[in-house]
Amino acid sequence: MIKGFLTLLIFQWLGELITLATGAPIPGPVFGMLLLLLALLIRQKASQSLQESSHTLIQYLSLLFLPAGVGIFFLSDAIQAQWLAIAGAMILGTFISMYFSAVLAKKLLGEQ
Amino acid sequence: MMEPLTSLIPVSWQSAFSTQLQMSELTAIVLTLGSFQLGLWFYQKSKRFILLHPVIIGGICIAAFLNYYSISYDHYKESSRLFYFLLGPATVALAIPLFQEFHHIRKLSKTVLITVIAGGTAAVVSAIGIAYILGADDTILRSLAAKSVTTPIALGISEKIGGLATLTTGVVVFTGIFGAIMSPLVFRLSGLADPRLQGIVLGINAHGIGTALAFERNASSGAFASLAMGLTGTFTALTVPYAISLLSYL
Repeated sequence: MIKGFLTLLIFQWLGELITLATGAPIPGPVFGMLLLLLALLIRQKASQSLQESSHTLIQYLSLLFLPAGVGIFFLSDAIQAQWLAIAGAMILGTFISMYFSAVLAKKLLGEQ
Repeated sequence: MMEPLTSLIPVSWQSAFSTQLQMSELTAIVLTLGSFQLGLWFYQKSKRFILLHPVIIGGICIAAFLNYYSISYDHYKESSRLFYFLLGPATVALAIPLFQEFHHIRKLSKTVLITVIAGGTAAVVSAIGIAYILGADDTILRSLAAKSVTTPIALGISEKIGGLATLTTGVVVFTGIFGAIMSPLVFRLSGLADPRLQGIVLGINAHGIGTALAFERNASSGAFASLAMGLTGTFTALTVPYAISLLSYL
């Protein structure tokens, strides 16, 4: 568990290093994730410890972003005034892109 | 000092209580874990009714607590940064399910990749387009860009492109919930019956919440959802920051 967690932190550290060094507008942990994926694809297996620690983190992902999510109740009045645009993007936007993806996926599988 | 009940408690205990409330990281962590646990309990009791998602119930509990004891949100955010910190390694951890489901790509490579790229783009464009038409300002547009992506990646993107992390988190959570709720209707309207393809659509548009729903229905649907979620997050993180800075030039 500790070994797996350490692996995740080291890959995050490397990812942050890439972001810093290149000045790319891409979050460091995303580079860390890609590096780890690459390493796993080369080694062709993920250790028990790594599987356990990542499973634990992913399982409680919603707990981890709960404090940030609470901020939605404390938004400034200027932002609250634009609730219609936010709700429209969330509901209508999600419906449109979902329908589009579904039609596209169906069409592509038919061709394959 | 605050309410009738506390006036029965000796003054030294009262001041210790309010000091502990205002200062302690421990308080913030106990509050967060306790509220999440309560949310989880409601969620399980309601047989996983999506609108009672632990984040919604837990978030309401925390907000009510902060309001009741007049603790500022910024203060709470500062005291609970342990959770925020763990989002970093949690993002890296997404490589493991991605690796484990990677072989599915080979079977349906064209469908998976094209749907992820086109669907992931459609998610960003439709969100920003609708908000723009409805008169949202620049900050809101930036906060909405990553709305369909898994939360830890969306938060990272939002920070990089100048969105509000708190707004992004809320929007991402509700996008996942609405996506999961609307999915049966979308699958009926589009006539999409293949569970693998349904998984892909859920992973692209409703991230972790959609993926959890896909796993409940069918293991292979869940595997494809988890793959599509990881790929969409990666694709969005690698493209949206550049697209936004390009748009700012124009």
